[in-house]
Amino acid sequence: MAQTKKACIVGGGTSVFGVRAASIFDMLQEAANAMSKDIPGLKPKDIDGLIFASTTAGRNSNSLNTAPIVAHRLGIKPTSICVRVDTLCSGSNTAIILATGLVESGISEVVLVTGTEKLNLPQRWESTFMNLYTNDHDWDSAMGLAVPPPFFGMIAQAHMKKYGTTKEQMGAVAVANYAYGFNNPMAQFSGKTLSLGDYMAARTVCDPFGLNDCCPVTDGASAVIIASEERAKAMTKRPLIYIRGTGQTASHGMSAGWPGETLADWPHLKKAGEIAYKAAQLTPKDIDVAQTHDCFTISEIIEVEELGFCKKGEGGAFVASGQIKVDGQTPTNTDGGLLTVGHPYGATGARQAIEICKQLQGRALHQVKDAKFGLTHNLSGVCAQHTVVIYGTEPVK
Amino acid sequence: MAELKTTQIVGNPHLEGKYIAEMDMWPLEDPALNRLYPFYDNMKQSRWTTTKCKKCGYISYPPGVACPNCWSDELEWIDLPRTAKVVGMTETLAGAPTGFDSPLIIAWLGFDKAHPLKHLLVRIINCQAGQLKIGDEVKFVTFEVPAHPMDVKKESKTCERVYYAFEPIKK
Ligand SMILES: [Zn+2]
Repeated sequence: MAQTKKACIVGGGTSVFGVRAASIFDMLQEAANAMSKDIPGLKPKDIDGLIFASTTAGRNSNSLNTAPIVAHRLGIKPTSICVRVDTLCSGSNTAIILATGLVESGISEVVLVTGTEKLNLPQRWESTFMNLYTNDHDWDSAMGLAVPPPFFGMIAQAHMKKYGTTKEQMGAVAVANYAYGFNNPMAQFSGKTLSLGDYMAARTVCDPFGLNDCCPVTDGASAVIIASEERAKAMTKRPLIYIRGTGQTASHGMSAGWPGETLADWPHLKKAGEIAYKAAQLTPKDIDVAQTHDCFTISEIIEVEELGFCKKGEGGAFVASGQIKVDGQTPTNTDGGLLTVGHPYGATGARQAIEICKQLQGRALHQVKDAKFGLTHNLSGVCAQHTVVIYGTEPVK
Repeated sequence: MAELKTTQIVGNPHLEGKYIAEMDMWPLEDPALNRLYPFYDNMKQSRWTTTKCKKCGYISYPPGVACPNCWSDELEWIDLPRTAKVVGMTETLAGAPTGFDSPLIIAWLGFDKAHPLKHLLVRIINCQAGQLKIGDEVKFVTFEVPAHPMDVKKESKTCERVYYAFEPIKK
């Protein structure tokens, strides 16, 4: 089908992220409420498509085939699409790619992308145990691979060994992202400060990670509207923000298929970035602001390398020299990122998209001056899949 | 014959005595439940095996019923060399997931050039915390995991199971 239309992100909203006294449906309604304040005049009846992102809804919230239930609770009566996507940490970013394709092809006009996860269960053991079911269960999970810190800890060790990355450089990511998250009212660690001294003194989670190297266990929901240019124009007086390019790669689901020479090399992310840059007709130098998947401090260091913001192996020096700060080369995770906002898997991609939308519209809390092009990135699972979306204040010509 | 172990269910009395496959952390290995059962049968003989494509020669891991390289279903079972080198490792001293004892030692293995696998994430067992070092040689080892019941017509059958990990090679 020839591309006939242009897709825009109109705006969005999130619930408060954290350890929530709320179900997924409560939080989805909170996110819809926040979105309605961000896009005044938007009504449930304006929406013809729903893409709902959640991986654990079926397990943690006992809700399989969740999309029609979400539609009902949000008062939406979809006519073009109503579906759940399950790509773990990239859920709602995947949904944004799908929504873009549906809008560009003319199948949908106004799509609600919403995602949620309830990760804090009545007993703590189950929150950890549940993670055994998000990896290749019969192979990697049966080796005891559940929560991600051990795997990403080995990634950090490999990067330190191969490229000389230091604990202080990893600390620079944590300190920057805590500073960004400090005044984000929706963040799990809103109001928390972190100095490099605090970071270095924090208790060890697993070598080489301390407490502040890891994103917390978070409940939350987010919602964004992806619409055709015409419908977006009718919905908002703000500058239109276009989706210029997307890329998603999946190279392996199980450790034996790891695509890199070492754990420090993520060629599947490099590839996803290249595909998205090409579609967007941009290069890494053009990106004014980025939201990369900082599930761990080391993740952000490798991501700025593989996404081309600096040379491979120089991510540690890049972050430590302040290039991810608001006046740096590529301000990154300017709302606090996963490290401080938290990471309810399916809600994260849309949360990142909201920040890029605000940045490009000139209304972010930590505003990057004259930002025209922004990028979001998620990795999923034990670094099995990479998802990149590039936004701009003007469409691809 | 392994005995089925029972447990007390808290908060859901109607599940007392029931096996819940959705909560199982081990594979369902019985031939009635999957087509990779030769992998598990071979493991019971302490063999580490996988499938090789007779059409294109591709060796896949994990094994399968169709080749991921050409989708042929003409596959044969082959034995994998059972030693590897520790390239990366991590020890969870407390708070391992339910079902796994602390310390939980997970290693990133590298294999020599002749081995069909390049790398693999595994659990290291029969090893004290602090004992394993990067560069150490480890070897394939099997162990028994809990059996589960399965309905067979009006009877109940007990399905015995094994799984594998790696352990240090004694110097
Ligand atoms: Zn083949």
